[in-house]
Amino acid sequence: MNLIEYEAYFWAKFFVAERAVSGVIIILIYLIIASVFAYILSFHIAKIYSDEKTVFSRATGGVISFFEKLIGESPDHGMNFREYFTNLLLFNFFAGLISFLVIMFQNYLPFSYDTIGMPPSLAFNTVVSFLTNTDIQHYSDPMRLSYLSQTLVITGLMFLSAGTGFAASMAFVRGIRTDRGNIGNFYHDFLVAIFDLILPLTIIVTVILIFAGIPETMQRYVTVNAFLTNKVYNIPLGPVATLEAIKNIGTNGGGFYGANAAYPFENPDWFTNLVEFVSFIIIPLASLLALGIVFGDRKFGRMLYWVVMFFFIFDALFAFFGEFVGVPFLHLGYYTGNMVGKETAIGISQSTIFAVGATITSTGASNAALVSYTPAGIIGVLIGLLLNDPLGGVGTGVLNIFMYIIFTVFIASLMVGKLPEIMSLRISSKEIKYSTLSLITHPLLVVIPLGITLMIPHLMSTFVNPGSSRITELLYEFASAASNNGSEMGGFDTNQPFFNYLDGVLMLLGRYLLMAFQLAIAQAFSVKKAKAQYYRSIDTSNWIFGMLLIAAMILIGLLSYFPIIVLGPLLSWAHDFNLMLGAMV
Amino acid sequence: MNFRKVYEEFILTLRNMRPDVIIHNPVMFLTEMSLFISVFIYLFPGFFGVPSTSTYLQFYLAVVILLFLTVFFSSMSTAMSEGKSRAITDSLKKFKTEVVAHVVRGDGTVEVKSTDLRKGDIIIVYRDEIIPIDGEVVEGSGYVDESNVTGESRAVMKVIGDTVTGSTRLITDRIKIRATADPGSTFIDKMIELVNRATRERTPNEIALTVFLSGLTLIFLIITASIFSISHYYGRTANVMMLIVLLIALIPTTIGALLPAIGIAAINKVSEYNIIAKSGRAIENAGDIDTIILDKTGTITIGERQAVRMYPNKGVDEKEFYRMCALASFYDQTKEGISILNLAKSNGISVSDDDLKGYRFIPFSSETKYSGIELENDYVIKGSLRALKEKFHVADEFIEALCKEISMRGGTAIPVVHNGKFAGVIELQDLIKPGIKERISEIRNMDIKTVMCTGDDEVTAQYISAQVGLDEYIANSKPIDKYNVVIREKERQRMVAMVGDGTNDAPALAKADVGLAMNNGTQAAKEAANMIDLDSNPTKLMDVIFLGKQILITRGALTTFSIANDISKYFVIIPAIFYMFPSLSLVNVLDLTDPIVAVTSALIFNTIIIVFLIPLALGGVKYKPTSISDLLKRNIMIYGLGGVVVPFIAIKLIYMLLVALGVVW
Repeated sequence: MNLIEYEAYFWAKFFVAERAVSGVIIILIYLIIASVFAYILSFHIAKIYSDEKTVFSRATGGVISFFEKLIGESPDHGMNFREYFTNLLLFNFFAGLISFLVIMFQNYLPFSYDTIGMPPSLAFNTVVSFLTNTDIQHYSDPMRLSYLSQTLVITGLMFLSAGTGFAASMAFVRGIRTDRGNIGNFYHDFLVAIFDLILPLTIIVTVILIFAGIPETMQRYVTVNAFLTNKVYNIPLGPVATLEAIKNIGTNGGGFYGANAAYPFENPDWFTNLVEFVSFIIIPLASLLALGIVFGDRKFGRMLYWVVMFFFIFDALFAFFGEFVGVPFLHLGYYTGNMVGKETAIGISQSTIFAVGATITSTGASNAALVSYTPAGIIGVLIGLLLNDPLGGVGTGVLNIFMYIIFTVFIASLMVGKLPEIMSLRISSKEIKYSTLSLITHPLLVVIPLGITLMIPHLMSTFVNPGSSRITELLYEFASAASNNGSEMGGFDTNQPFFNYLDGVLMLLGRYLLMAFQLAIAQAFSVKKAKAQYYRSIDTSNWIFGMLLIAAMILIGLLSYFPIIVLGPLLSWAHDFNLMLGAMV
Repeated sequence: MNFRKVYEEFILTLRNMRPDVIIHNPVMFLTEMSLFISVFIYLFPGFFGVPSTSTYLQFYLAVVILLFLTVFFSSMSTAMSEGKSRAITDSLKKFKTEVVAHVVRGDGTVEVKSTDLRKGDIIIVYRDEIIPIDGEVVEGSGYVDESNVTGESRAVMKVIGDTVTGSTRLITDRIKIRATADPGSTFIDKMIELVNRATRERTPNEIALTVFLSGLTLIFLIITASIFSISHYYGRTANVMMLIVLLIALIPTTIGALLPAIGIAAINKVSEYNIIAKSGRAIENAGDIDTIILDKTGTITIGERQAVRMYPNKGVDEKEFYRMCALASFYDQTKEGISILNLAKSNGISVSDDDLKGYRFIPFSSETKYSGIELENDYVIKGSLRALKEKFHVADEFIEALCKEISMRGGTAIPVVHNGKFAGVIELQDLIKPGIKERISEIRNMDIKTVMCTGDDEVTAQYISAQVGLDEYIANSKPIDKYNVVIREKERQRMVAMVGDGTNDAPALAKADVGLAMNNGTQAAKEAANMIDLDSNPTKLMDVIFLGKQILITRGALTTFSIANDISKYFVIIPAIFYMFPSLSLVNVLDLTDPIVAVTSALIFNTIIIVFLIPLALGGVKYKPTSISDLLKRNIMIYGLGGVVVPFIAIKLIYMLLVALGVVW
């Protein structure tokens, strides 16, 4: 054995033995790879945000203008907030209505093979869920949907919701960037988002996933005759790779199979796991970095990157160590961490970084059963949801973090005796009002349903786990719906009319109400001219501001949930912890 | 402090506690509602199903008292502020003296009470009479003592066309004025009205903060309610009183209580500078000024040119030249002339009438541009270089070089010709106000750009601006130039502050974000400006900027402090409410064993911190002009980190004190 071989052997042994170290390193590798790709994409997104031509424009320009001529719109027709938002809302509403009808009548439509179908409440929930980029699935059986529904409704809405979200962020950036008094044309923005960004990326990811072995077929089922049980299983196939690609690129998160990315046909190994992780991080992260380019202040983009990374790394390590330490008293001898509900091919570190990434963005995909996470692990995953997805979905991440930025600028400016301004635009009381409204909407949408549900005993009857875990599960459910995330912890029967309708309303409000506030801010900015600065006002790009932003997100976003976190997951954790102590004594 | 004042403020405090008044402050309104509910709980504990043992009743009583004190202190801080501004308007009202006016009707005059005068009336004012109403002099002239309105003790000469202010006193001669205002809308009435309105109305910034605080309050209300249902889920009924305490502790009572007082205090502080602010908004804007336009004369320099040195020509005796200067200026009653004579005197030269027997004085005129004395062929003339050269056909390279050098230094050169030859040059300088250089550098430390407007030539303007360290100057400026600078800066979205007094300044004053009009200026200027300086001291603009910053900082600091406080309160109250879960002891970082005493300690802290911060709210946070990032770091450390740490320590101390006093529930 020469020295190099010995070295390799030593380190291989070290990483196998020291699983905590290798886990942390894997998590960091995931983040680094995602960051590199996001950095590359940020230049592309910056071009889109600046209304410049991109590498795809030559190919897509004709398509976009064809569609625009078809509906009689043009990018020169600038819309103010009211017009833009009305068009966005109506467009989404009709898409939702058609989708609802397709699902309700799917058995009378083509491509329906043994489809079970959905009751109205579930159909409503599903349509709203995919329309709002949430992708909560209150069903797990793929047989509930026909192939037509899968393709038209599920995949169609996945594109539509991502495109809508990104269009909103284009309008927002335009409101800040320009002073024309309008925030652009919704249909143009939507088409650009689809054709210049989402579709090309989806195609690239689809190809990668197909090569990685994910099915892409129109074949109906694989019939498995299980050896021991002598029972025939029909495993549905379909265009899984495409769906998987748009599911992640569009930060949608709703899987082809109910088990989502924990299902081998969706996510067979570490490579697809990494590809999927990168593909749902890439647009939100690149959008933040692109802001730095668009506003001519690269440090601003970098500051946002580190603020998000702070939460990302903190949550990931919290979840990882929560799962890694697990509940050792269950295994007094050899203990490998909490592998319950996890895919062995993926392991703890890759499961937790995936889950945290899915809740820090608004993806909500999962490659493990979150209900079997330890309380500590679930806190790590939950923080993203409670903060209303700090990295956000396609487009919405930019909108969400700007609400915190506006508030932080307001307080920081006051503290130095200046009137608040951002990107040299004065922040007036109107913008503060809307950003406050948008910041408080999320906690209200989470806490009010939680409080109501807890008071109704028959709703609490389907829970599997006892005690404080139920509070955690409810909190998770509503936080996921309100933040349009779609991550599911489960633990109870979510397919009840009450939860179907309630979640549906939460998703609608969490999406469109927030978007209305945020676009109203964009409109307010769009009439303002930038100030030619002599000296910088508050420097919104340095580390002090970054720390203030983090503090504001914790104090305003997270701390309000303190009592519920304490009485839910923390109580369970303390409970386990005491059990563990008891077992040791 | 007299009892009457205390009594008045007490009455004001009670008025501010009325629900219909306090509703404008949502945070305090919620606190007051909680107070009412807690009184109800204390009286009828059975109705709410809360424990009613004597220990609990004592706790309820403590909560009632503490909530009452919270509302009371908040209302008191506002009342203290209001009391002050009431004192200011009262002192303005004292100027309004009711007198009998002699109104011209036909050929004679009629005696009319000043309150019955009408706009347009022609009134005769005799010597030593109070001018009954604002007006314009239409006949005669005289000195008017305006000290009660302006604070300026020197009497002011008023001639035809000048405006006079009601309630000031004519001390010489007799004038005829035409009333320019109806009683009730005179200058003083307007100022009283302005102060009242400015105190009442809330600035956009204050509204934004109120919206934000209300939003937070709403979240905390819902969170508190959710705790009720969580305990219901755990099979327990939460003690409503405990929840009320949690709610009050969480909502931003500190800033909520003091917010109204801060705004009024700003108006008061401006008033203490003898400035009438037409709106609180103008004061806030002052804090964010990017550009400040200063007049050279009166703001940067004293505005009187004075002789500072005398340079004899080659071959002229120094003493002899001094003597010549003194003689030439002996009859010159202009300020420059007097200063030349004084300078000569301080150099040991004394001249008297006898020295000039028979000499004729040539006074200065704007056509000739020189003055001096002459007796037949013997003459001493001083004046502008060009005028002297033309008049006497003299030329002297040395003198011309000297004149040029002096004007490079920002001075004015006055060459002296004696019998056909240049005898030397007198250097006049407009003195830079003492302390102005430091003020300018303070302003620049606040990242504000300074622009000086002056009617002087390029060379002088450049010199002065370099001397005091200004960023930009506009030489040979006309009033329209000021307006142009304002427009230029506004187009770049910058905030502009300026001082003005003349009618020409009115458009610029109206456009500027902060326009400070001098009280001795014209009516048009005063109407266009959003602040009026009663002392007519233009340097005060910088004080206003300072104040504007201070009020913003005070609000920001207290908000940060208030929000940061919540962390500790969560850690105290949540484990106390759920003391039945022993596992939650890991949240109980302060190790407060008695839950009720712990909750009470948190509420006590919540209440007394308001009292401690009242002086800060009324007096403003200490502020030294430094760079923005240093200031931000400093305030984050003090009010952010301080706001996290202080309550932990304070609550623990209060708890220990209560336990030591034997309070055990």
